[in-house]
Amino acid sequence: MKSLDPRVNRLPQTGSANTTPKVPLDQFGTFQVFVQPKANKPFQHEGIVHAPNLEMAYVLAKEAFTRRFTCVSIYVAETRNIHVSVLTEGDDDAYDHVSEAAQEGKKASYEIFHMFKRGKQHQHVGTVEATNPNEALWLASKQLRTEKQVFNIWAIRTSDIRFTNQEDLDLWLTLPEKKFRDAAAYKGGEKLKTFLDASKK
Amino acid sequence: MYGGGNTFEGIKPDEHTGEDPIQLAEFEARIDRGEKIEPSDWMPKLYRKQLIRMIEQHAHSEIIGALPEGTWITRAPGFKRKMALMAKVQDEVGHGQLLYSAAETLGKSREEMIDDLINGRSKYSNIFNYPTFTWADCCFISWLVDAGAIVNQLANAKGSYGPYCRALDRICAEESFHLKYGHHCVIYLASGTQKQRDMFQEALNRWWPPMMHFFGPSDKISVHTEILMKWKVKMGSNDDMRNQFLDMYVPKIWELGFTIPDPNLKKDTETGRWMYTEPDWEEFKRVINGDGPCNKERLEVRRIAEERGRWVREALRTPKTAYLTPLA
Repeated sequence: MKSLDPRVNRLPQTGSANTTPKVPLDQFGTFQVFVQPKANKPFQHEGIVHAPNLEMAYVLAKEAFTRRFTCVSIYVAETRNIHVSVLTEGDDDAYDHVSEAAQEGKKASYEIFHMFKRGKQHQHVGTVEATNPNEALWLASKQLRTEKQVFNIWAIRTSDIRFTNQEDLDLWLTLPEKKFRDAAAYKGGEKLKTFLDASKK
Repeated sequence: MYGGGNTFEGIKPDEHTGEDPIQLAEFEARIDRGEKIEPSDWMPKLYRKQLIRMIEQHAHSEIIGALPEGTWITRAPGFKRKMALMAKVQDEVGHGQLLYSAAETLGKSREEMIDDLINGRSKYSNIFNYPTFTWADCCFISWLVDAGAIVNQLANAKGSYGPYCRALDRICAEESFHLKYGHHCVIYLASGTQKQRDMFQEALNRWWPPMMHFFGPSDKISVHTEILMKWKVKMGSNDDMRNQFLDMYVPKIWELGFTIPDPNLKKDTETGRWMYTEPDWEEFKRVINGDGPCNKERLEVRRIAEERGRWVREALRTPKTAYLTPLA
């Protein structure tokens, strides 16, 4: 391989012409990422990352989702720990499909998220104390349901979430200072005007 | 940035028949109401297949597209330009990850997609098979290839598939600085020395034909594209996208005193459409099928990265986490 880029020319040759297909295990788990954009705003779902564990998921989520826009905090949870209600449409409310669930096991707190509009991200709406995810949804329908229609509900046990530590909250304080990532930092108008005026003469 | 003019796979005549008529009617009614389709909803097989193909191509384009610009980071003129270009390239790779995740919600894993890219089974935007000889080539990409991509992405963000639209909203927001940065770079070259102006003019001459290819061949309206448009997978014809791009950017290029290497390029004032020399579609086909100046290098760089990173992935892998299709 001969490239214009000297760094490409320096790459070691790895031998095989074809990469062998990945073994099925070469596949990390998936984790859902939640971001809090401002101090008084709720956390909302932002997307997913692939990672070998919760801690790495947190690190990767920080790179992927909080590199650009100001935010105050994030957290992550593994996909399999998210309990999902039915997804509804039209004027059908997801809570109308939640039925009473019995108490089984120890009490724990669950974080509840609502999807208020199809196509929009899930938003954190509150916490309930329940013994299992089904009961958490049932209690949410009693405590957190408002007049606003909900299309989908998620429940995550609080202890399954990797939160941001109190002492790490300053991670995002410098974001607004990174002006080179801001469209407003590229004002070419003045230069363009001088150039156009000069070329008219 | 993004490879526009998706090459949709030819649809076989019977491929979109045989779906349950009631479910299909509900699905189409939901799209007509302007509601998004979410991963757990029922969807026609053809919808799923074409969406995976489109989002996957888009993701690969972000990853491969980082290479021709990334090569200029160490040689960018000055610290400010280096910072900006580094941030931009980092964004593009991040966009690739967002898009792989969106495609995954439809049932194809990220690792399968990477396999298909490396082994030449998946496509990416053809424009990245051309080399960036000078800094001006890099500026052309930052300004005009990104501009073309944004035209496409803004249209696609109004599509019907929820996870793809959400990824695109985020991508478009992040890209607002890319375009401004690219234009800024070109203004500086235009108002610089004669040598700098010549450098950009030469880059423009080199990149104009692939830029016209970027939006894909003229699409003949057929029953098949009609169904993809109806399902809001394809949001506009390739010609419409190309016309919109020319409308927005040709005046800006002319304003800077550069010449576009097409004597037939002009706007028909009656129809409002741009007229131009028909791009060389034979070359487009040849390059997309592997015979471009950089196809081999692009895939080889990606393959070496994959192999060199293998030990890291293996060291991190643990049976304690399980791969699950992402939720949204």
